[in-house]
Amino acid sequence: MDFTIRAATLEDCKDISRMILELAEYEKVSDQIKITQRDLEQDGFSKNPFFHGIIAEVPEHLKSRDGHTKVGYSLYFYTYSSWKGRAVYMEDLYVMPEFRGKSIGKALMAKVSQLGLAAGCTQLNFTVLDWNKSSLDFYRKQGCWDVTSDLGYHCMRCEGDALEHLAQGDL
Amino acid sequence: MANFNLRKAEPKDVPDILRLIKELAKYEEMEDQVILTEKDLLEDGFGDHPFYHCVVADVAAEHQKVEGYSVIGFAMYYFTYDPWIGKLLYLEDFYVMREYRGFGIGSEILKTLSDTAMKNRCSSMHFIVAESNKASIDFYKRRGAFDLSLQEGWRLFRIDKENLQKMSAEE
Repeated sequence: MDFTIRAATLEDCKDISRMILELAEYEKVSDQIKITQRDLEQDGFSKNPFFHGIIAEVPEHLKSRDGHTKVGYSLYFYTYSSWKGRAVYMEDLYVMPEFRGKSIGKALMAKVSQLGLAAGCTQLNFTVLDWNKSSLDFYRKQGCWDVTSDLGYHCMRCEGDALEHLAQGDL
Repeated sequence: MANFNLRKAEPKDVPDILRLIKELAKYEEMEDQVILTEKDLLEDGFGDHPFYHCVVADVAAEHQKVEGYSVIGFAMYYFTYDPWIGKLLYLEDFYVMREYRGFGIGSEILKTLSDTAMKNRCSSMHFIVAESNKASIDFYKRRGAFDLSLQEGWRLFRIDKENLQKMSAEE
């Protein structure tokens, strides 16, 4: 299939927002989305962006049933390992269902890897839901390993009231 | 012992930060995994686009329990992004030297970080903990943190440099 992978621009935020919602629906959590298209524009495309994006685009004659040419995306940002140094974190990776099986996901991930390596990163990290078998298989085929299983690392979160109490020094 | 001071790390703190990183890694039985150098920490934390931020806890000379060290605790963090809820604060490392525990230094560091998270309009603070580290898990759960891996099924995956290079070379 004919497609291109390129850096996301401000104008892509409308489609990124659409696809974020599609991915959240796939993960069965679309009611948790608080971020708007405007937030994405501000947080990703101002002087100090909190994330970077790449887009997979197909030519007009291959557009989706609903008329979209932007058919996949990845959001990533740079992080830091206190043991190994610079790292890249892939927050989202998504290809619209009708465009899967054509190596677009692989190409998006390859691009994030290239950008990460160019920035001096020695590892790429991301999280996957334990029931998402097709994604788990895809990632394992790319040479990824499960840090949660192998090292017993659990992802923890402190938010909302708990975060506020913590900030005030309450126990 | 009441007299300790929490402050933003400076370039001169880099040797102490690396020392504490190694002490924490040793506690996690992973000391041989630390390949980061003082040069990396300096370049990556104190250049134009820092990959991480650090707060350190130091004690005045008359309160030093361990010969020669005034920096006795630290936290390393950076900002990440969740496309559903926006900015997050990610806590990479958090450690207080054994001789200085039980005085509220850890709690104070966490309070400062939570405050930083709130001031930067972060929705939550994320971090990982090894499931075998019961003391730390209890410490965090007492403060309202919850285990995303257990409760939502998120698994942390990683690709190391060799496989990153293979992936980035694929067309």
